[in-house]
Amino acid sequence: MARSAVMAQTSRRHAILPVEGMSCASCVVKIEKALRNLSGVIDVKVNLLAHRAYVEYEPDKIGIPDVVKAVQDLGYEVLHEEAMLHVSGMSCASCVAKIEKVVGSLPGVTGVVVNLPAESVKVEFYPGTTTKAEIKKVINELGYEATEKPQGHAALDREKQAREKELKRQKRNMWIAWPLSLVVMLGMFQPYWIFKDIVPMWLHNAYLMWALTTPVVFIPGWQFFVNSINGLRRGATDMNLLYATGIGAAYLIATINTLWPDAGFGGKGATFFESAALLTAFIVLGRYLEALTRGRTSEAIRKLMSLKAKTARVIRDGLEMEIAADDVVIGDIILVKPGESVPVDGEIIDGYSAVDESMITGESMPVEKKVGDQVIGATINKTGVFKFRATKVGADTALSQIIKLVEDAQASKAPIQKLADFVAGHFIAGVHVLALLVFAFWFFMGYDLFFTPESRFVLSPYSLGSIGVFGFALLLSVTTLIISCPCALGLATPSAMMAGTGKGAEHGILFKGADAVEATSKLQAVVFDKTGTLTKGEPSLTDVVAAPGFDRRQVLQFAAMAERNSEHPLGEAIVRGARDEGLELADVEAFNAIIGYGIEVRAAGREILIGNRRLMTQRGVEFGDLLAEAERLENDGKTAMLLAIDGKPAGVIAVADTLKENSKAAVARLKALGIKVAMITGDNQRTASAIARQAGIDTVLAEVLPQDKANEVKKLQERGLNVAMVGDGINDAPALAQANVGIAIGSGTDVAKETGEIVLIKDDIRDVVSAIEIGRATMRKVKQNLFWSFIYNTLGIPIGAGLLYPFVGFLVSPELAAFFMAMSSVSVTLNTLLLKRFIPSMRREEVRV
Amino acid sequence: MSNKIARVSALVYIALSLGFSAIFVAATYLTGKDYPPVARWGGFIWVFVLGMIITMPIVIPYVKKRYEK
Repeated sequence: MARSAVMAQTSRRHAILPVEGMSCASCVVKIEKALRNLSGVIDVKVNLLAHRAYVEYEPDKIGIPDVVKAVQDLGYEVLHEEAMLHVSGMSCASCVAKIEKVVGSLPGVTGVVVNLPAESVKVEFYPGTTTKAEIKKVINELGYEATEKPQGHAALDREKQAREKELKRQKRNMWIAWPLSLVVMLGMFQPYWIFKDIVPMWLHNAYLMWALTTPVVFIPGWQFFVNSINGLRRGATDMNLLYATGIGAAYLIATINTLWPDAGFGGKGATFFESAALLTAFIVLGRYLEALTRGRTSEAIRKLMSLKAKTARVIRDGLEMEIAADDVVIGDIILVKPGESVPVDGEIIDGYSAVDESMITGESMPVEKKVGDQVIGATINKTGVFKFRATKVGADTALSQIIKLVEDAQASKAPIQKLADFVAGHFIAGVHVLALLVFAFWFFMGYDLFFTPESRFVLSPYSLGSIGVFGFALLLSVTTLIISCPCALGLATPSAMMAGTGKGAEHGILFKGADAVEATSKLQAVVFDKTGTLTKGEPSLTDVVAAPGFDRRQVLQFAAMAERNSEHPLGEAIVRGARDEGLELADVEAFNAIIGYGIEVRAAGREILIGNRRLMTQRGVEFGDLLAEAERLENDGKTAMLLAIDGKPAGVIAVADTLKENSKAAVARLKALGIKVAMITGDNQRTASAIARQAGIDTVLAEVLPQDKANEVKKLQERGLNVAMVGDGINDAPALAQANVGIAIGSGTDVAKETGEIVLIKDDIRDVVSAIEIGRATMRKVKQNLFWSFIYNTLGIPIGAGLLYPFVGFLVSPELAAFFMAMSSVSVTLNTLLLKRFIPSMRREEVRV
Repeated sequence: MSNKIARVSALVYIALSLGFSAIFVAATYLTGKDYPPVARWGGFIWVFVLGMIITMPIVIPYVKKRYEK
């Protein structure tokens, strides 16, 4: 059983394919449905705005080319990537054949061309199925040496090209559709209003209008017919089908009435060519505007990608040379001059400078860098010249990790999106059922009961007098199809999520998923870990109180000896304090850490015990009056540690950790946002309370063992609160995982390893406030977008179906329905773009200062 | 296998759509009104088109699942 399960797992593969050409949620449903219908495909998840399709499949049943073909058959494009490699070591044609065969057999590789004299290999593959590193690896395993040619920005350029291609295509369609449609409209309106005076009569000729409408329907409108037929063949439907049925029906009726006026469809008085033409024109306009605006919501990723330096000045064998940043290897020494970008992550080995890290951390002030400091790739050197050793390259750099994290977040779905997905997913079938019912109602009942020959479409001059029962019912049915398009509904959540996660990344706040954004917006309580989060985390020695029979230096010396091998910050503070006083520290003979209590050490022939009250009580050491000293120190916010030597009380040592500069302001702002703030620490109640008082925190969870922090968070959750835990991603991992939102603070550059839903690159708790504000602003946008989308569909459908017609004679024409539909999508996207102007309150203040 | 699924599916959704259209035409007679032939048969075609659009995405996965079982 277990073995078969493992085999089933190992026979599965997954790929993330970049899909272009999707315009709304129905495209998502269409692709997901079509791919799921393929034999061998196990799971499919498509993200509209990230333009990615995650496909899990069984390679022995289906290959990536089959999956790609299925997507292409639906009318979408799957972008492929091209890798240009330099391969040395090839000597003859058999090398060429060998490389072509092995690389060609990798999943997702569609073409391999080896050029022996040029020592190059060009590989075409679908990104997400294999990687350049994998390709290089298999070539290297064959005994050659493959390196990548400088193409760091290729992916970015390709994406840009694809977007430009789509814009160009829709622009061309607009140039065909709009001028012709406007002429057709003028022709149709010629006998009415002022048009009879300004428009020549010959333009009203039905044959001319038919000749003008036909190219509109069959050139810009052709895409809808092709895509819907491809979808239907795979058992999937989408918006294209609504457009195609709408445009097709309007055009067909008008054509029949022109060419065969006696056929009984309303005759020459019912040639609504402008309906078919303007309907196409409005839909194309909507597509164009969407392509134009939607690309801007994913600007964050593009902005991050564009930060990558193209070249690096490397010193190899004492020679300075400029190479592609992608070719830098770990250990390379890199020279960076003022104004230049740092190409990869590394450690400064020579020089001094100030580096602008705002693009990665959000920190507006340049950070001073000296020998031993870390530099982050993509940051900009402002003043001095320095050399650094590369420590992370390629996908391991901070920038690559951040891009990956943001990409993953943008590819995820928020819980609130489920409703929209459900509605959009079931909409097409529902809308066609509705169109059928509308048709049946107006055909069998409505026409006889309510139709009057004076009826007109809104904003249309001519009456529908000569239209028959079939034509009338058909027009209302078509209008219902067009006005029902849930495009705005499909865009509402993901567009706002993309903008929100991008806004976070801009400020060094990385949301790990759309669900994290939603959960952050609902937070009611924030629990801060004390040490290193609220405080600087680097305590220093403040007091040494000796017991009778011991002197101060002796107490400090023994305490420092005990803590000599300790990695605990409190222990390090004592050791630093002793060294500052020039005390000699003997080697430790035996060491035992008692987690949550203290340590037990044998040094210089003495048994030393250092820790808290519980440890001393457990070991039966009575501290008597010294406890009052300890209490006094603790009341001052210091951490007092008790020291016992050979089972006798020897003294009290106090260290203190001070609040970070911005902790108080951040706590105050959180409270102003209506959030309950608590602090959690292993320190005793008094020390914890003193720090909490300084920070302005009312709820203190003190003397909590590391393993119990998660339980404390759970207790708050049991009180009905949505809780965020803020701490470092390693020590506080269980509590971060337990919280509704885990916020790992000050992660620096290794963001991928962090636990929690939000990673703050900078060690600044004001970013906790910013994260909550961004989460709330994003969810506000989501709700606004969903509200307007639902309102549009809720009001539009009954009006389009002719519900108001019996009462006010109000009829919406198909082209007006198309205009409303296009505007709903565009208004949602534009509303989302307003989020770009959002600046978190504390960041606004910082900028003002 | 996939051809068979496609054939069986087509048979089912075409039959269903024709069924809807037949019901529509029958209704035009049952109402007792004198509909012009164009309205009657135009309606037949429109109902058939909508019927196909509605049934295709439902029938194809259903038939596929039945065959896979």
